[in-house]
Amino acid sequence: MLADQSLVLKAPRYTFGYGKKMVEETVALKSNQQIGKNIWLMEFRSTLLASHAKPGQFLMVHLGERTKDPLLRRPFSIHGIQEGDKVMILYNVVGAGTSLLSSLKEHDIISVIGPLGNGFALPRPSERAILVGGGIGLAPLFFLAQVLQKDQRNTVTLFLGFSTSQEVVRIQQLEELGVNLSLTTEDGSLGFKGIVTDLLDQRLSNKGPIKSVIYACGPPQMLKKVAQKATTLSLRSYVSLEGYMACGLGICLGCAVKAAHGETKPYYYVCQDGPVFPSGMIDWEVL
Amino acid sequence: MAVLPDLSVDIGDLKLKNPVITASGTFGYGTELTPFFDPSLLGAIIVKGLSLRPMPGNPPPRIAETPCGLLNAIGLANIGIQAFIEEKLPVLTKIEAPVITNIYGHTVKEYADLAKKIEKVEGIAAIEINISCPNVEKGGIAFGTDPDTAAAVTERVVNNTTKPVIVKLAPNVTDITTIATAVESVGAKAISVTNTILGMAVDVTTRLPKLANIVGGLSGPAIKPIALYLVHKVVAAVTIPVIGLGGIMDYRDALEFLLVGARAIQVGTANFVNPKTAIEIVHGLTDFCSREKVSNINQIIGGLKTM
Ligand SMILES: Cc1cc2nc3c(=O)[nH]c(=O)nc-3n(C[C@H](O)[C@H](O)[C@H](O)COP(=O)(O)OP(=O)(O)OC[C@H]3O[C@@H](n4cnc5c(N)ncnc54)[C@H](O)[C@@H]3O)c2cc1C
Ligand SMILES: Cc1cc2nc3c(=O)[nH]c(=O)nc-3n(C[C@H](O)[C@H](O)[C@H](O)COP(=O)(O)O)c2cc1C
Ligand code: FES
Repeated sequence: MLADQSLVLKAPRYTFGYGKKMVEETVALKSNQQIGKNIWLMEFRSTLLASHAKPGQFLMVHLGERTKDPLLRRPFSIHGIQEGDKVMILYNVVGAGTSLLSSLKEHDIISVIGPLGNGFALPRPSERAILVGGGIGLAPLFFLAQVLQKDQRNTVTLFLGFSTSQEVVRIQQLEELGVNLSLTTEDGSLGFKGIVTDLLDQRLSNKGPIKSVIYACGPPQMLKKVAQKATTLSLRSYVSLEGYMACGLGICLGCAVKAAHGETKPYYYVCQDGPVFPSGMIDWEVL
Repeated sequence: MAVLPDLSVDIGDLKLKNPVITASGTFGYGTELTPFFDPSLLGAIIVKGLSLRPMPGNPPPRIAETPCGLLNAIGLANIGIQAFIEEKLPVLTKIEAPVITNIYGHTVKEYADLAKKIEKVEGIAAIEINISCPNVEKGGIAFGTDPDTAAAVTERVVNNTTKPVIVKLAPNVTDITTIATAVESVGAKAISVTNTILGMAVDVTTRLPKLANIVGGLSGPAIKPIALYLVHKVVAAVTIPVIGLGGIMDYRDALEFLLVGARAIQVGTANFVNPKTAIEIVHGLTDFCSREKVSNINQIIGGLKTM
């Protein structure tokens, strides 16, 4: 019980911030399962998040109880929305925070803040959407594919690269969405042998008759190649970047990425200005 | 109906409705967290450290997490005092809590120039000076590591403003009390203890430092015992109010600082983890005082018992 009811949140008399809808919510997990090598899929219900989220936006997730170690929230893309209010996160277990996350079970509680950042700018009607994902970079692209397939205004082609077949996940669900899917693995255990940008090079050797827009998420080296490809073919391209984040809310100034020469600012902040950027905004030399 | 405890505290002439303040660099320019709570309910707001000119900040990575702590080398990135006054202050002044600007310079003159600029604008209740930054005239040694330099900066700011001046001390010194008494003697109205503690982290696989800047400042729960100790020492050395900070995550942490003698506290890194921390601390202190039958928070301040 609060001693002072007058301290209970009254609606502020002003709205500033970024004029964006964001909430902090405590949610119970619906499921949290391993679906590939070090890859997990987490699901929870949130009407608020599901109704406001756009593809490319992310969430700041607090790991279970308010632990002091790991201390900070972890950023994750929204992987998709299903059944109206079911929010999905697809994640790679890489360190202390994500392994703690993977230990959570159905009904366990997490706190999420979101939806955060700017999503992908959707293609114009009749433009072809080319989605390029490397590894866990599939995470936000699935949501984008969901939305594009629902709207049915654009042809969606998805190129996905993994290092090996054990990492290949969510393929059945992508096929159910009806996207044109091409797979690569570096060890050749599934699909085209090699890296995803090589396949992209082959298939996208010229501009083609239909105007295309590229959407990419994956390791920096991959994004750099995609950005170069887009420049060569003079196509619009959007990349979803990562950055070390303490807050995700624009207050720590930790998530800086160097802006391209000629941009008005020296750095962009991934959580505010991104995580999705037109590839021309970024200085690829130092990423 | 039960009478509510009185949480108000005085920092010199500055009257705060409660002792909870947001720390510089962890609350943006003051309005970013309004989707989560109304900052008018706080004791005061301290905004991101401002300099005369806009500063780009350090190359990334700027942050790394360490056990119970956060290492940062943001590089004091900020939009500069002019843009702050023109773009941020007009909205900020609608908040019914005192706004304190945190300032830093590279030379003593820059601090003085900042004070002059701030003196002319309304809506800024006090100036907190960050002396943990390198003095370019003295080979890059931080202003806050030498009592004479710390006093020189403080004096120049005090002489150029009628607003209360709070000096935020750097912890990386042999004896923090010599700095504290030095700034007190030249007119500081309060002292904030502590800024971040210098630290490093290394990625053993790549053999690279985890921060592009190599070294950074450590904050968060990892530094709380050190911060408490420093507050304890400074409280004993000066008569002006001390504002305590370092690793405060909840109202119990805040109470520890108050008991040790801090007149108010600041919430830093915790804002990143839970953006509602500061307001939850206000609620927590209210409830605690009610439960413990403390009618006025000043009865807690400095109430540390001895064994
Ligand atoms: C906007 C955004 C969206 C993201 N979306 C997803 C997603 O959908 N699925 C997913 O699996 N991951 C995603 N990530 C990355 C994810 O946040 C990190 O993998 C996670 O924070 C690692 O936490 P940890 O405690 O397990 O690892 P840590 O112990 O913190 O680190 C383990 C390793 O991961 C590296 N690392 C940690 N954080 C980052 C980071 N932010 N950027 C780059 N490298 C990092 C460290 O250098 C280290 O090598 C996203 C990151 C951002 C910024
Ligand atoms: C990301 C970050 C940025 C900071 N920026 C500033 C700043 O601009 N000026 C300043 O005086 N202190 C700055 N600080 C220090 C904090 O205000 C505070 O003194 C320190 O973090 C210790 O408190 P905490 O453990 O509660 O975070 C910053 C701290 C962090 C983590
Ligand atoms: S993560 Fe804190 S500003 Fe972007």
